[in-house]
Amino acid sequence: MARIIVVTSGKGGVGKTTSSAAIGLGLALKGHKVVLIDFDIGLRNLDLIMGCERRVVYDFVNVINGEATLNQALIKDKRVSSLSILPASQTRDKDALNKENVGKVLEELGKSYDFIVCDSPAGIEAGAMMALYYADEAIVTTNPEVSSVRDSDRILGMLASRSRRAELGLEPIKEHLLLTRYSPKRVEEGEMLSVEDVKDILSIPLLGVIPESQAVLKASNAGEPVILDTESDAGKAYQDVIERLLGEEVEFRFIQAEKKGILSRLFGG
Amino acid sequence: MADASIEFKGSSFTLSVLHLKTSMLAHIRADLTKKVAQAPDFFHLVPVVVSIEQVAGLIDYQAVKALIEEFNFIFVGFTGAIEKEQRQVIRQLGFSFVNTAKASAADKSTLVKDTAAKQSSASQTGSTTPATTCHLYTDKVHRGQIRSGQQLYAKEQNLVIIGSVSAGAEVIADGNIHIYGSLRGRAIAGAKGHHKAQIYCQNLEAELVSINGNYWLSESMEAHWGSPVYIHLTDSELTSSKLI
Repeated sequence: MARIIVVTSGKGGVGKTTSSAAIGLGLALKGHKVVLIDFDIGLRNLDLIMGCERRVVYDFVNVINGEATLNQALIKDKRVSSLSILPASQTRDKDALNKENVGKVLEELGKSYDFIVCDSPAGIEAGAMMALYYADEAIVTTNPEVSSVRDSDRILGMLASRSRRAELGLEPIKEHLLLTRYSPKRVEEGEMLSVEDVKDILSIPLLGVIPESQAVLKASNAGEPVILDTESDAGKAYQDVIERLLGEEVEFRFIQAEKKGILSRLFGG
Repeated sequence: MADASIEFKGSSFTLSVLHLKTSMLAHIRADLTKKVAQAPDFFHLVPVVVSIEQVAGLIDYQAVKALIEEFNFIFVGFTGAIEKEQRQVIRQLGFSFVNTAKASAADKSTLVKDTAAKQSSASQTGSTTPATTCHLYTDKVHRGQIRSGQQLYAKEQNLVIIGSVSAGAEVIADGNIHIYGSLRGRAIAGAKGHHKAQIYCQNLEAELVSINGNYWLSESMEAHWGSPVYIHLTDSELTSSKLI
């Protein structure tokens, strides 16, 4: 059975799509068969981050409506052959999806893939509910900032009450906390919530801490998921996330501010 | 500015209450003599309220007052959970009757036990809260965190939460609320009118706490912010006390 993972947050702009792309590609690089689904109907973004926007012919909504087969809509990644992308529709809205048909598509995909990564839209409306409904696991993407933490908390409530697993009384969705745009320096200066603060409020296991990094914006614009940038802190942090998703114990990096040397301290460098 | 020279304000004081257990003046006198002899300075000119709650039978109010004053107490008035008629008698004699929070709560419980006729007399005295003082509540136990946007109501029950209550969440109980975790959201205990309801939590960072309609916003919780605390009502004021 494929593991269905939803990348969600409640709040917009916290890094759901960036994380979905990095995690999807990272899992595929490990040799797993992965499909990335963009649930953000009407605001098609995942294909841009993945760098396959020019190859979109059919989309998720076409498949739902029976206007195209899954194979026609799935785009094979050019870098890793075991990764496919199911893009969102740019022209429809979020109401174009319905639970029953989404279920059928996921079931079909589950036959040939190991991981189904669902990139959720922001908010707590129908679109986001659709993305999380069938999930086995949830990666709750959160910025170390109060409103983002509050929204993540709200989404965690939804995961526990509005998902298929909750409705059928099955084992609850496995929740993971992914802290993004983290800046240890600003935490030390008291401007940002710390890893511990967020863990304390949300009380779910920590999957990863992605440091604030210039590499992320560069990667998005280039259509190359940041996990491919193995030199960057963000890329390395996403690598660790993959290891942990696959059951490895990896120490957390990039959560301490860099210690400045005596010289740079003297000269304010 | 006709009343610039005076101002009336409510305030609470600690007063000594003398609980009478008999109406026999001779016995009271004998015991008072012994008591005052132990610390004459301590009792000198101390204001005293006399509770007649435990006295069965007729009381000579005038004589009680005279006796108290004989021992150099300052007589303030009578108190105790007693019948309305008896209170009227006391007032007609020109004595003040001091209502206590405890007395009025006890008053209500006797009314509940009594007949419907007494219930109607409660409404005549202007009591607006429903007389639900028979609080033998069972517990509703919730395991896990109450997340932002979620609401949990323990109807005619106490609420026990093994986990935290997030900011933006709301927990309500007709009885007490126990939170084995942090309280960051809202907690409303004694929702249907229960003066003795209490709220317990291991870490107070709440947006709002309310007992029997009396509420506090975060700014009123500064004294025990971030501490394990229980919150209760004294008279009609919320009070927080440290648990450990």
